Amino acid sequence: MEASELRGKIAEVKGLIANQDWISAFARLTALSSPENDFVSQARVARLYSGLPAAALGLKSIRIAILASSTVDHFTDVLKYWIAREGFAAEIWSAPFNTIEATAFDQSSPLYDFAPDLVWIFTTGRDVRIEADDESQATAAVTETVRRTQALWTAIRSRMDCTILQNNADIPANDSLGNFAAQTGSSRRNLLRLYNLELGRTAPAGVLLYDLEHFSALHGKERWADTRYWYHSKHAFAHGAYGKLAFHAARLLSALKGRSRKCIVVDLDNTLWGGVIGDDGLAGIRLGNGADGEAFVDFQRWLRAMKDRGVILAVCSKNERNTAMEPFRSHPDCVLKLEDIAVFTANWTNKADNIRDIAGTLNIGLDSLVFVDDNPVERDFVRTQLPDVAVPDLPEDPACYIEAIERHRYFETVSLSAEDRVRTQLYRENAKRAELRNSAGDIGEYLRSLDMVSESGRVDAFHLPRMAQLINKSNQFHLTGNRYSEAELKRLAGLPEYIVRYFKLRDRIGDSGLISVIVLLARGSELYVDTWVMSCRVLGRTMEEFICNTVVDAARQAKCRAVVGRYLPSPKNKLVTGLYQRLGFEKIADVEGETTWRLDIGPDTPDLVSHIRGEVARASEVLDVA
Amino acid sequence: MTDLSSVKHRLNQVFCDVFEDDSIEIFDAMTAADIDEWDSVTHITLVLAVEKEFGVRLNAAEVGKLDNVGEMIKLLARRSAK
Repeated sequence: MEASELRGKIAEVKGLIANQDWISAFARLTALSSPENDFVSQARVARLYSGLPAAALGLKSIRIAILASSTVDHFTDVLKYWIAREGFAAEIWSAPFNTIEATAFDQSSPLYDFAPDLVWIFTTGRDVRIEADDESQATAAVTETVRRTQALWTAIRSRMDCTILQNNADIPANDSLGNFAAQTGSSRRNLLRLYNLELGRTAPAGVLLYDLEHFSALHGKERWADTRYWYHSKHAFAHGAYGKLAFHAARLLSALKGRSRKCIVVDLDNTLWGGVIGDDGLAGIRLGNGADGEAFVDFQRWLRAMKDRGVILAVCSKNERNTAMEPFRSHPDCVLKLEDIAVFTANWTNKADNIRDIAGTLNIGLDSLVFVDDNPVERDFVRTQLPDVAVPDLPEDPACYIEAIERHRYFETVSLSAEDRVRTQLYRENAKRAELRNSAGDIGEYLRSLDMVSESGRVDAFHLPRMAQLINKSNQFHLTGNRYSEAELKRLAGLPEYIVRYFKLRDRIGDSGLISVIVLLARGSELYVDTWVMSCRVLGRTMEEFICNTVVDAARQAKCRAVVGRYLPSPKNKLVTGLYQRLGFEKIADVEGETTWRLDIGPDTPDLVSHIRGEVARASEVLDVA
Repeated sequence: MTDLSSVKHRLNQVFCDVFEDDSIEIFDAMTAADIDEWDSVTHITLVLAVEKEFGVRLNAAEVGKLDNVGEMIKLLARRSAK
């Protein structure tokens, strides 16, 4: 953007701020800022943002401590703005310059008073000291350096529950050995590579790596370094990278808070292949052969890889259904198959309505969707009708589709579980259940015919990642909105007054996997439901009733006389507003919509009707980490 | 040599942008003491904004020396004339 153009737009923002029209001011900032903009523009936007009251923008608070070995003042300002774009007001505390170890190891350091949600250990390759004279010493030297970094994690995590974001080492553009560094075991370049691998291999749950090495390469190593500002004021990398780095970090943070996108809705003609299947026919579409044919194949491969890591794929196309399915069934170069697609929508209805239906079928929010369509008119229509759906601009050339989507970092994740890899299959099985339900005489007959079994168990090393993931990603069926990291969950499970359980569900159609987690707290004669999350995939199958019965049993065993649950409303959890009432609880408090519910337990409190048979996991006893 | 007054005019605009204050009028003897917010942190923002406006790349030593507006104008006139 030209300086004069930027000045004009900034003047408008200032006018809105003067009128205290905070929301419009933020919207204008959103329109004029881009992660790619240079530092001068980033700094101005960050400065204007800092004048807006977070409460008026509806931002949720998040506390971040930054422990850095270089100057990060400007960077944190820019970071705050990009975090705000993700819906959070960041309060950032920066440790004094270059005091990482002192801050972490000193029990009385202000870090521990600040009590952050996240500690970002912002080191760079410059800080990584590895003493190895030759290749034989490399492994031991790297292990020793990694051990020093791990000691920081241990120190911080032994004093508080928080997630740690740890930078790995950005490898410098220059190496005294030049190209030969690549095959010299003791070269700086290879030692840092080893360090990065070892860091990634050993990072425990609760420690997330920030791949600074990857980012610096993405930005361009020669642009990444601006040594003038290192010598002058200890800025470790070029200011030109601040916007994009802050944006990427903010997206990661958003993923940590369960706000990543979950599903890609794709168009077909000229998106998954060249040409129009209805006009050009199976042999006429461009897929596999020719330059753009190969690009479409690669785009499909990328989509399949996304599906394999747990992103749901859906199709939304203006086509005859059978015609639209033909390439998936019969085209030799069509990488995607019908079983890769969770919901296949091909009709002549407008795309906004179809996308709403897709979200409904999958039981996920519109803000979990990314819509990919080559047609700018369709994109605009969906953007206008469904502002919560992310709609990336797509270039005309299919060779650039992947990059055009990837640059938005919609799908950052902070964990991978077995469920992720089979998610599409789970949604397809649900579609099958829906058919069965429609053909069954009544709902009871249908539920009995499913032959459902639920396995429940405690926190163990095997289930912990998925349990934490479910708590952190669930928005709709989440009564209190708590977020617990793996470390926190493990700690709670170890406390005598807490009961932490997972539930799985399988039936004759398939295995839905680990679909619910509860955290209960026994206090006196009452058992409190601290957290209850459940995957919306299993709604309407009497799972809630089954879990409620389990909770009542647990209350009896803990010699409690009542179960007390709370509902804290959020924009996304209206689904469970009436849950406790439905389960027979009595409302005992209502403070501005935050309701408290109580179920008294007598010796003959009856079980709720559920068509699910229980099964207690045996393996968890062996693997118990609590 | 680039006209000093035109350099001064452009530099004034940079100051107004960086400190978000359109009322700033720079003068040769002006230093960080004359603008509340001109500290070691905003100094870097100022230098980067100057580099962008004038299309110059200052060296590490120059970045530190630019603590007076007159010096800045002279340096910029010299560098942008090259």
